[in-house]
Amino acid sequence: MASKFVLAGGIPERRVRPIWDAIDSRQFKNALKQATTLLSKYPNSPYALALKAHVLERMGKSDEALSICLNAKELLYKNDSLLMDDLTLSTLQIVFQRLDHLDLATACYEHACGKFPNNLDLMMGLFNCHVREYSFVKQQQTAIKMYKLVGEERFLLWAVCSIQLQVLCGNGGEKLLLLAEGLLKKHVASHSLHEPEALIVYISILEQQAKYNDALEILCGKLGSLLMIEVDKLKIQGRLLARVGDYAAAADIYQKIIELCPDDWEAFLYFLGCLLEDDSSWCDEAITDLVHPPKFVKCKFSHLTDEAFDSGISKATNFVRKLQADTTDNSIRGPYLANLEIERRKKLFGKNNEDDLVDALLLYYSRFGHLACFTSDIDSFLQVLSSDKKRDFLEKLIKSSSPLSSQPTKELGQSITIFKIQELIGNVYTFSAKELEDCAIQAAELYCRNLPLSKDLDPQESMHGEELLSIVGNVLVQLFWRTRDLGYFIEAVMVLEFGLTIRRYVWQYKILLLHLYSHFGALPLAYEWYKSLDVKNILLETVSHHILPQMLVSPLWEDLDNLLKDYLKFMDDHFRESADLTFLAYRHRNYSKVIEFVQFKEQLQHSDQYLMARVETPILRLKQNADNIEEEEHILESLKCGIHFVELSNEIGSKPLTFNQDFQSRPWWTPTSEKNYLLGPFEGISYYPRESRIKDKEANVRRATERKSLLPRMIYLSIQSASTSVKGNIKANGSISDPQISSELKSLLDCYAKMLGFSLSDAIDAVTGVSSGVMSSEAFHSDAVDWLNFAVFLNAWNLNSHELVQQDGGHSGFRSWHMVNSLLEKYILAKVRSMEPLIRSPQCVLPILVQLVTEPLSWHCLIIQSCVRSSLPSGKKKKKSGHADNSMSSLSHAVRDAIQSSCCIIEEVAKWLRDQINQPEDKNVECILSSLWPTGQEEGPGKVFKILETLISSVDETELGDRISQALRSWSHVDVARKIVNGQHTVLSEFLRICESKFKSLESLKQQIAQV
Amino acid sequence: MIIFWRNGLAAVANILTLAVTGSGDRPATRESSGDMTTIRRFCCNDLLRFASVNLDHLTETFNMSFYMTYLARWPDYFHVAEAPGNHIMGYIMGKVEGQGESWHGHVTAVTVAPEYRRQRLAKKLMNLLENISDKIDKAYFVDLFVRASNTPAIKMYEKLGYVIYRRVLRYYSGEEDGLDMRKALSRDVEKKSINPLKHPVTPDELEYD
Repeated sequence: MASKFVLAGGIPERRVRPIWDAIDSRQFKNALKQATTLLSKYPNSPYALALKAHVLERMGKSDEALSICLNAKELLYKNDSLLMDDLTLSTLQIVFQRLDHLDLATACYEHACGKFPNNLDLMMGLFNCHVREYSFVKQQQTAIKMYKLVGEERFLLWAVCSIQLQVLCGNGGEKLLLLAEGLLKKHVASHSLHEPEALIVYISILEQQAKYNDALEILCGKLGSLLMIEVDKLKIQGRLLARVGDYAAAADIYQKIIELCPDDWEAFLYFLGCLLEDDSSWCDEAITDLVHPPKFVKCKFSHLTDEAFDSGISKATNFVRKLQADTTDNSIRGPYLANLEIERRKKLFGKNNEDDLVDALLLYYSRFGHLACFTSDIDSFLQVLSSDKKRDFLEKLIKSSSPLSSQPTKELGQSITIFKIQELIGNVYTFSAKELEDCAIQAAELYCRNLPLSKDLDPQESMHGEELLSIVGNVLVQLFWRTRDLGYFIEAVMVLEFGLTIRRYVWQYKILLLHLYSHFGALPLAYEWYKSLDVKNILLETVSHHILPQMLVSPLWEDLDNLLKDYLKFMDDHFRESADLTFLAYRHRNYSKVIEFVQFKEQLQHSDQYLMARVETPILRLKQNADNIEEEEHILESLKCGIHFVELSNEIGSKPLTFNQDFQSRPWWTPTSEKNYLLGPFEGISYYPRESRIKDKEANVRRATERKSLLPRMIYLSIQSASTSVKGNIKANGSISDPQISSELKSLLDCYAKMLGFSLSDAIDAVTGVSSGVMSSEAFHSDAVDWLNFAVFLNAWNLNSHELVQQDGGHSGFRSWHMVNSLLEKYILAKVRSMEPLIRSPQCVLPILVQLVTEPLSWHCLIIQSCVRSSLPSGKKKKKSGHADNSMSSLSHAVRDAIQSSCCIIEEVAKWLRDQINQPEDKNVECILSSLWPTGQEEGPGKVFKILETLISSVDETELGDRISQALRSWSHVDVARKIVNGQHTVLSEFLRICESKFKSLESLKQQIAQV
Repeated sequence: MIIFWRNGLAAVANILTLAVTGSGDRPATRESSGDMTTIRRFCCNDLLRFASVNLDHLTETFNMSFYMTYLARWPDYFHVAEAPGNHIMGYIMGKVEGQGESWHGHVTAVTVAPEYRRQRLAKKLMNLLENISDKIDKAYFVDLFVRASNTPAIKMYEKLGYVIYRRVLRYYSGEEDGLDMRKALSRDVEKKSINPLKHPVTPDELEYD
């Protein structure tokens, strides 16, 4: 940057440079001192002001920085003789941007450009401002001005990209594309084009308007030579020809591509598509979800006669044969996979060729069956076979596998493939428990037998047969699901922990384990393994789903807080810097990336997880501080009393949501965070292919966040409502009057009820019905937490509005208190009483219990706190009338009851927790270990575990090498059991801590109310 | 086996300003031996799909501006390989930089998912980057940095024709030494660029990070 400083904003460079150096080395105090001195020398220099503001902003003094920036801006505007250099403006821009005032930066540049209309630097600065604000129309206008000024190709392309952005990401109509096309055409006629990316944009503009022939003409003309990579050019040509409908020519082009790159799978699919005159691959609707693209291409045949289909297929077959003959490299899978795709299409067309497809699969196995990717390669072909044929294939596979290879690693690979195919075709769930056990035993034995193969491998390298332990783990979980014998579950944990003892880098084991631990209530262990995955940056968006949902319903608030903070910081940082990176793409003339970057930002901005995290973060803070109403009010104040969350909730229904999570790595029993098969009874589930549950998930996420985002406002209004109910007609904080509180709270209750699928009056009937025992508590289904929240807020509303009483025509003005008390008691105590010790029942009801205590019960206690606080005598209060005294006394009576009831609930929960926590550690360890060795039983868990134990007891160092032998010796299953016990202990203790704090707060309320 | 990654935190700031434009006059094909899998330019959405590759403990997940700077500046040096069923197999990211005879391609990261290893995919990806450096950008050599302890990777690079040009002391987070490995391209007829240095250098002596 030194060259810029020769005369920086009218100030000699030598005076400015030390300030920048100090900023760069983060010596802000020093920088501030120097900037202040500079400003005293140049009091009217906008640049000196901007510099000082920059330093202040970096020191966290945002208000001061903003006011100085505004001074500088005013000076710039006022004084015509002042220099309008880019350096001053860009410094101001930096500060304004960091202060979230992009509009002010834009205004400065706009002003400068108005004054010096021919200054290209300033115009670029202004263009950049518009890029930052995503104002595509203004970008376009500025770029056109620059283009008119200097006639450079790049500025024209900036304008064209801005037009494309209006169409793709803004609300510009497609007619705008015609304008872009016209601009380009005119420029090409006079100046031609010189950048490959410019040509790509030109073609895409034509393609977007379905002008394929025009695009072809340009590609095949002189401009086509701009594309240096032949294959890239051919791919565009093939696509355009296909879209025109000239399938024969397109097929020729794809044939050329495949001859150049015989392993190019995509090109082969297009080639086949062209031969069968099927444009499914190119249609706009072909791929709507770019993050989770379909595993296989859609096909349509309705337009084809038998003859035409046969002719296309025979052309494809001949070509593939030739390709296979020409290919000398044995590792190329493409030409062999091509055979499978041909058979798949035949099957889909209705040919009776299942046996041919099975033969082709067997042939593929004989060549590539040892590869780890074999199973995922053939996934889509297998899916078109009937269940019988799938089993037929598996049988043939097993028969053919033994004599295939003489190399031990290949043989191992083939054996693993057979296990994986069994999983893939869903064969496993038809097995009897005995057969499943045998399967696990075989896989474990295979693993142990082949350990010597990895003797000389670098510890960083993945070992041969590593997948086997994942397979064993999966089968054991399946056995647990069937038999509910906890031993299998523990055995699965042990197997995977064992695997990680041998090599600690296997992320697949870690993910399986983290889900097993989550299910077992040992969340701290799950979190440990999660942390060891080093999930950061973009992986926070794609991988956090493994842990975040469990954490949200756990008492591990500190860890949850860190998770949410890290995630939101990543996302918000990206949104902040994304536009600058877009501008970088503009500057480097990579125009296609400009569009891509803006679309990607939107993809992240609409992320369901981002939405959820933004709503859950304040709710976490509200939960954490619910025992102290003053703290809670501070938080609510910082959340603007929850108003914009209500707005958010209203928008959610119409908001586009994106799902960017990588679900592929989830274990079979929990394909998404919403689904956990182990919670339900055993059913015949084939875990492959993974069901696409995105649609279900979308509905769930919307529902859950819609409800959740109403909470902050409802909590706020409830506190107000409770307070005014006591204070009578005195206005709460002078801000909202009672009728407003009541009517707003009522409308939110109405919304909330609707989200639960009820009208307000029906929902009221439901909660009163359940609380009085007229209706069964089953009525709330799985939404108990939401229903209890509803009841809590309903009571708060009723305190002030008294509408419930009028409906009832009842006598007591405080029946709603009783309703909430009894609902909370019913639900929470029922849960506590039905709970088994954590150590013996994976995924007990603990998460629900945690939610009930930390949400509805907490909010209820807040309302109590609000009532008590307002009831306390204060000097300012006027003496109440007799009527008010009466109602006060019955209110304080009701509050006392509520405190008593909440205390009892908390006490019982705490007692249960203490009972669990006080169990001797060794006894719990023993309990876990004994499930692995059921006494006096032939059947049951422990057999796989025994195989591992045998391996350890007979370590042969020469066979296994140092590293593996040492790792084996360090293995201790007792340590693992102890770890589990301690993990559960931590969760219980954290929960107990929360309960104790609530109990304490209630006790002190009890004392306070006694004084009223 | 992950092949290579580097300490990339400081790299963004040190990238030189040089636009990537083709200067050759003949179209180049992407490969020489004709054995390619489906390889295409890396795009932003691939960042959302590469978790199974990046969960590998040796594969660094950089910050967003790092990836996007590479995409914005050297999109031809950032490629991804996809398997049937749209699985990401691996990717390579790199750049071209330098002046005069040190104008060179650089491999910043190349990595392959576990289930696609031992299929020579890393080689294909490396060849692709070498080809673009050689044929399109007319660079003199391609270089890369590797941990001195990462023997499997060093062996593989040697097989691909790279030689150890120099040792960079404490290159990785100030702890481990890095090796600067190079392979000469056709423009460096006398292979001057790969004459090994006799003495190690320190990171601040590096011309390009």
